[in-house]
Amino acid sequence: MLANYTIDGFENIKYQGFGQLKYIEERLANLFEKYGYCQVEIPTFENYEFYSSDEAINRNDLFKFISNSGKVLALKPDATLPITRIAAINHHDPEEVVKFSYQTNIYKDFSSPDSSKKETTQSGIEYFGNSDPSCDGEIITLALASLELFGIKNIHIDLGHVGFINALLDELYLNKNERDHLFNLIENKNIGDIKEFLETKENISEEYKKIILKLPRLYGKPEDVFKEMETLAVTPKMRTVLERLQSVYNYLCSVGAKDYIHLDIGFTNRMSYYTGIIFKAYLDGVGESILSGGRYDSLSAKFGIDRPACGFSLDLLLLLEYLNNHNLFPDNSDPKIIILYPEEEREKAFSLCSDYRNNGRSAEMFVLNHSPEIVTNRLLKNPHYKNSEFYLLKDNNLTLWQKT
Amino acid sequence: MAENINSNQTLYIALAKGRVAQKALEVLEQLGFEFPDYSKDSRKLVFTDKSNRVSIFLVKSPDVPVYVEKGTADLGIVGRDILLEHPADVYELLNLDFGQCQMCIAGYPDLEIKFNKKLTVASKYVNIAKNYFDSIDQPAEYIYLGGSVELAPVLGLSDCIVDIVETGSTLKENGLIVKKPILDISSRLIANKVSLKTKNEVILPIINRFEEVTKDENN
Repeated sequence: MLANYTIDGFENIKYQGFGQLKYIEERLANLFEKYGYCQVEIPTFENYEFYSSDEAINRNDLFKFISNSGKVLALKPDATLPITRIAAINHHDPEEVVKFSYQTNIYKDFSSPDSSKKETTQSGIEYFGNSDPSCDGEIITLALASLELFGIKNIHIDLGHVGFINALLDELYLNKNERDHLFNLIENKNIGDIKEFLETKENISEEYKKIILKLPRLYGKPEDVFKEMETLAVTPKMRTVLERLQSVYNYLCSVGAKDYIHLDIGFTNRMSYYTGIIFKAYLDGVGESILSGGRYDSLSAKFGIDRPACGFSLDLLLLLEYLNNHNLFPDNSDPKIIILYPEEEREKAFSLCSDYRNNGRSAEMFVLNHSPEIVTNRLLKNPHYKNSEFYLLKDNNLTLWQKT
Repeated sequence: MAENINSNQTLYIALAKGRVAQKALEVLEQLGFEFPDYSKDSRKLVFTDKSNRVSIFLVKSPDVPVYVEKGTADLGIVGRDILLEHPADVYELLNLDFGQCQMCIAGYPDLEIKFNKKLTVASKYVNIAKNYFDSIDQPAEYIYLGGSVELAPVLGLSDCIVDIVETGSTLKENGLIVKKPILDISSRLIANKVSLKTKNEVILPIINRFEEVTKDENN
């Protein structure tokens, strides 16, 4: 009887999927290395308090554990925070430029239903010690390159900044609940409810109300959105944000990424430590973003080293699925060699297999304890042997028996 | 620009069967999208307009946000009650004024809500009920029922109910009254977060048209 031993929310990757994932990982690691990033390994656990302290993430979504010494640990829900910690521990000079890349598993959405995906594989980069707009530009360019690397064409990048809305909300004398509520409404582009909310607020001037109502519609072609932002940027802080976005956009234009970039001023990322530009990449027909990142200048200070930083992460399992659906994996795998041998010729079979293996091929040997048909059919039940050449060994001679 | 955009630019809209679908189709027809094979009593679930630019499909209303969140549908129209009960990661673009009604606490006329006594509440909308009673610090126990919620106080299963009230006639016939309205419910136009960007050129005129229609009806 078959019982259900599946662990919900966790995927098993096997056969061609594993090779494909390795292919993705290797190409990305290679690309990041060429841009000067050095790969690091991140521990599976992270201190729970780092995530819980300033609501970087919903606490209920963390997988929590208690260590022997009574410390609360969490399975890491993202890679940025641990990498920032690693960079702070190992590089003490805040002026130092540190460029790290990684590939790791992350654990999320603990409080969601069993069926939702809890574990995924991420790859990404973090760039410490550079606060210039050109650094933001480089990160986004590399994000784009890491998707184009696999032949993906329909890439859509949303560029935003956490500062524009926040600078405006700072002016409004709202308490924390009201502020979070309004921010949520703006993020969800919920103009109807924003109107209702503003009607109850008499201490907000009409001028500000008008601006707030326009925020949800601040998305689209950069040139248009910049024009609109010019008229809405009423505080010096908002102007600074606008100028920042413009210079990042100019960088992207000068490296030929212009056509991929769209602005959206009203969105946030899952983690709340971002302080500057943020961005997400979307692909055709995929209902969620495949890549996201941004600038987080104050996170490193938590670990004692005040150092600006910017980075992104890419969901590899989503990428794997997309590449499969769009046939973007190269089809260059050689067929496997299968040698079926009678017991008395084992020595010869082994030496033939060794020859194949030494030449870089995959070769397996099976003893003929039944007829070749039975042995072959048993093997073919496993998709692993789909692309194989079956050889029969008889009297020291190898003859092709079946090709699949 | 063009090559970055989905070549498959058909727009998919998920609608709940009934009045909402009827109304949405009227708006789409005003925009020049015609659905010749649609009729109220048809059992077909998918309709595509003559020009193949817009496709609508009819689903159960709690499923609308599911289709939109996953991106199978780009747009959807759904009641606020459903979005509040099962939050979905979508844009809530507009309040459409059709399907206006209220979420109310209802019970026998002599029901008193006492803060020192635990209340038993029956509802199809357990989350909405819990959010409300938590916000006034009222201790309560919640019982989920799939329908005919009015029966619960009548049979003594609960002290009160939280439910959508349109005309109030079902309540009346079972001897119950509205104790307190807690939320206004209307239909929402929701959009998939990715589609709004990638199919903006098709979606924007539709949003604007719905906005105008809603405004006209308010004046």
